[in-house]
Amino acid sequence: MNEQTVIKVAQDWFASRGWQPFPFQEESWQAYLEGYSGLVNAPTGSGKTYSLLMPILLDFIRRHPDDYRSRKKNGLQAIWLTPIRALAKEIQASAQRAIDGLGLEWQVAMRTGDTSTSERARQKRNAPEILITTPESLHLLIASKGYATYFKYLQAVVVDEWHELVGSKRGVQVELALSRLKALRPEINIWGISATIGNMDEALEVLLGSHLDRQKYKMIRSNIKKQIELDSVLPDEIERFPWAGHLGIKLLEKVVPIIKNSKTTLIFTNTRAQCEIWYQHLLDADPELAGIMAMHHSSISRDLRNWVEEALHDERLKAVVCTSSLDLGVDFRPVESIVQIGSPKGVARFVQRAGRSGHQPGALSKIYFVPTHGLELIEAAALRQAIKENDIESRPPYVRSFDVLVQYLVTLAVSDGFLPDDIFREIQGTFSYQSITEEEWNWVLSFITTGGSLSAYDEFQKVIVDANGVFRVDSKRIALRHRLSIGTIASDSAMMQVKYVSGGRVGHVEEWFISQLKPGDVFWFAGRSLELVRVKEMTVQVRKSSKKKGKVPAWLGGRLTFSSQLSEGLRLKIAQAARRELEDIELQALSPLLDLQNDRSHLPEEHEFLMEYFKSREGFHLICYPFEGRSAHEGLGALIAYRISRLQPISFSIAMNDYGFELLSDTEIPVDEAIEAGLFSTKDLELDIQRSINSVEMAKRRFRDIASIAGLVFKGYPSKQKRNKHLQSSSQLFFEVFNDYEPENLLYLQAYDEVRNFQLEAHRLRAALQRIGQQRLVLSRPERATPFAFPIIVDRLRERLSSEKLADRIRKMTLQLER
Amino acid sequence: MPQSEETIATPFQLAGESLLLDARRAIFWPSQRCLLLADLHFGKAAHFRREGLAVPPQVALQNQAQLVELLEEYVPERVLFVGDLFHSDYNEAWEELGDILTAFSNIQFELVKGNHDILDDRQYQKFGLQVHPLPLPLGPFLLSHEPLDTPHDHLYNLAGHLHPGVILRGRGHQSLRLPCFFFGQQQGILPAFGAFTGLAIMKARPGDQVFVIAEERVIKV
Repeated sequence: MNEQTVIKVAQDWFASRGWQPFPFQEESWQAYLEGYSGLVNAPTGSGKTYSLLMPILLDFIRRHPDDYRSRKKNGLQAIWLTPIRALAKEIQASAQRAIDGLGLEWQVAMRTGDTSTSERARQKRNAPEILITTPESLHLLIASKGYATYFKYLQAVVVDEWHELVGSKRGVQVELALSRLKALRPEINIWGISATIGNMDEALEVLLGSHLDRQKYKMIRSNIKKQIELDSVLPDEIERFPWAGHLGIKLLEKVVPIIKNSKTTLIFTNTRAQCEIWYQHLLDADPELAGIMAMHHSSISRDLRNWVEEALHDERLKAVVCTSSLDLGVDFRPVESIVQIGSPKGVARFVQRAGRSGHQPGALSKIYFVPTHGLELIEAAALRQAIKENDIESRPPYVRSFDVLVQYLVTLAVSDGFLPDDIFREIQGTFSYQSITEEEWNWVLSFITTGGSLSAYDEFQKVIVDANGVFRVDSKRIALRHRLSIGTIASDSAMMQVKYVSGGRVGHVEEWFISQLKPGDVFWFAGRSLELVRVKEMTVQVRKSSKKKGKVPAWLGGRLTFSSQLSEGLRLKIAQAARRELEDIELQALSPLLDLQNDRSHLPEEHEFLMEYFKSREGFHLICYPFEGRSAHEGLGALIAYRISRLQPISFSIAMNDYGFELLSDTEIPVDEAIEAGLFSTKDLELDIQRSINSVEMAKRRFRDIASIAGLVFKGYPSKQKRNKHLQSSSQLFFEVFNDYEPENLLYLQAYDEVRNFQLEAHRLRAALQRIGQQRLVLSRPERATPFAFPIIVDRLRERLSSEKLADRIRKMTLQLER
Repeated sequence: MPQSEETIATPFQLAGESLLLDARRAIFWPSQRCLLLADLHFGKAAHFRREGLAVPPQVALQNQAQLVELLEEYVPERVLFVGDLFHSDYNEAWEELGDILTAFSNIQFELVKGNHDILDDRQYQKFGLQVHPLPLPLGPFLLSHEPLDTPHDHLYNLAGHLHPGVILRGRGHQSLRLPCFFFGQQQGILPAFGAFTGLAIMKARPGDQVFVIAEERVIKV
């Protein structure tokens, strides 16, 4: 059978179901059957699964034209990787439908963290033709003895939702697993499926690695553009002084009718605390929602979340208040409307969320944007433009992650062992490790075999080198511990589990929140009013309470920062406002605020950089507006403070938000002198950053993940946590001893690299300075704080005062400001 | 007497006795020629390394060197380990510690047992280490590994176990975590001698005296 004949088989099946294949689907079928690898760029809900599932089946039919209907037990033919377990079920159902439709005798199985040991053993004995699994579970397969036999008949690997994986260490895990599978099966087809991201070509390179050399790869674009309609929920009255404090609750009354008028609504919030608060207020505002509205965030227990997901699927819910925990996941077809509370901070995230509604191909996705303060309306305008121009963020891949490499090598040593020369060649073929030097490779090998010691008396035991030069793990205990650690995502050790006294998990909260409560106190969590009964070790026992009022837990954790796409869009919109080009409804609504900004200070155009300098009772404020996102401002703020302090002894407190940063001092700041001395120059940038930013604490936090992935900290066996107290330590301790005794340790150095690249976003910082270098500096000296300055100042105050007092304080400030 | 006495040790009066608080996380009691050390956790690095957790081996060497340094500088007659001398199961590091103990055979070494001191009694006997399974009264002090729940009427409890530390906060969100000597009204806690042992952050109440250890200095805060 040739390609056209088999493709006809698929077309016929499609036709029998009343479907018409999309051009991109047929293009993918053709490319796959011609032996190409590649990336399919298609949004969720566009039929992307069948673009790659069909040709896997068709290829088998082509290879066995006479008996494909009767052949059983063909060995593992294809691996389908998905980032989250929840998606696996749906893919399995689609695959089963196609298998039945074409009349094959194939088995489809899932293997995730939830799969039982007996089921795994069954899969091992009797391999399914298609295995749907996660990156971690694939590594676990590679960690089992005789794994090479299991992959003996493998034809293809498909990585679904590659855009979700490519910018993470799980993406690196995928690269490593693929490098091994390619060595075992040089001819396999490797395909990815990805939503649109800014670096599609790079994403393809990362996925294929050494397969690129075969020159047989393709990018297939669906050209299905999701129709997204963005509606801003406009406040009746624009506050002239926006302060990011009330979580958007003021607009709640305008959200209720949106929920009423649509079949099912997802309400996305940015933080778990905001999620809890909105849920509670919505219930208060409309008690009829009780029972048909639910909540979903990552601290709520898996069981509860599963229930919510199923109920959503079955149209039993009218609304779900959620966080990024529902960004991904099953297609919730009943969802008609999306509400986004507050800034989504990035275009991709916003588009993704909008796409959770209107799941049928070609359907319109409707998303309502609810600003939590006035300035966010400018973002809405910027988002609309970015969506129109398809200007989506990149997902920069992790490179040279030594922690993942250490974990992978031990994985190989645990199963059948490895020869370093072979594996070195394989990993050099990955995008992530293409630049690894022989010296670094030798360090990693020595790290897993000697733990960094050359002493003959040392008892370090992990990986040994046997007489044939094979690196392997002999100790059963070490092997077991390693397998357990593969799947563990580093989590805060200070998380406490919340359980009912009667049993039943509710979720987890941070220890410091619980430490503020005493038994009998009531708090709101997972949408329930709970009374604290007692704290037992790391478990918080609660019972339901009928009290209406209670504290809401807050979870620490990184605040999202503006993407560069959104930053750029924002600068553009402000420039448009400066030129009075008020096409967007949001800018029109905001014009009182923008006018005030212009009167008091200035609205910067593209070629201008705005700085404001003024005195208040608090002291002297210098506020700069790069509009470059919180992370970059964190670095810029420290850098500028450092450079000014070189001119004269002066101390600052620094505050920032996504728009700009503030330096506050109790003495006059030599602003003009500083500008003259090259305040924003890129000269000596690296050095100045090193001197100005205390990166040790940041690196220490980054190291938590690294230590856990590299297997330095062991959290104990799930069932017998107590017995291993003697082996417990923290990543922090390791960080400190590496700092003292092994500063050349690559894992330790990696923490600093990650701080530079991911936390401070050093490249953005540099780009921002270069841009500012081209711009005209506008230094305005307003008499008082401006609308732009206000949210930054408020943000700083919030960190010092309790929320109640803050509200009073702000009321006073506003009065004072408007006088 | 210490050669670098101008910075490394700080004199402190406690229960009528003059003590020296040494930045190497030790207390020297000159009138008794007695050195007090808590939570040495020798063997911890080796214990971890045996299980494939790559603690830098220099951690152990540094601890050994520091102990020898203290013994040579103070020339004590008696050294009291206030618990957790050795981290759990036997490993080669016990012999290395033994080499030090036997090299200073004119010093009487004693151990007030801690929760990690689970070696066979013969191991202690091997190096002539005198073991006190119960809290040990000594002058105005009562030495115990874990801080005693009920205060003793006349004796001041000196203990270890907690690995005490405090957080000092400065301007602009700066903070430092430092190990410390922590002296309450009836109870004092020694810092952990061993590296790679971590800190438990203590809350000071009025009347408590806290000495932090920072860069080879002992500073009262």
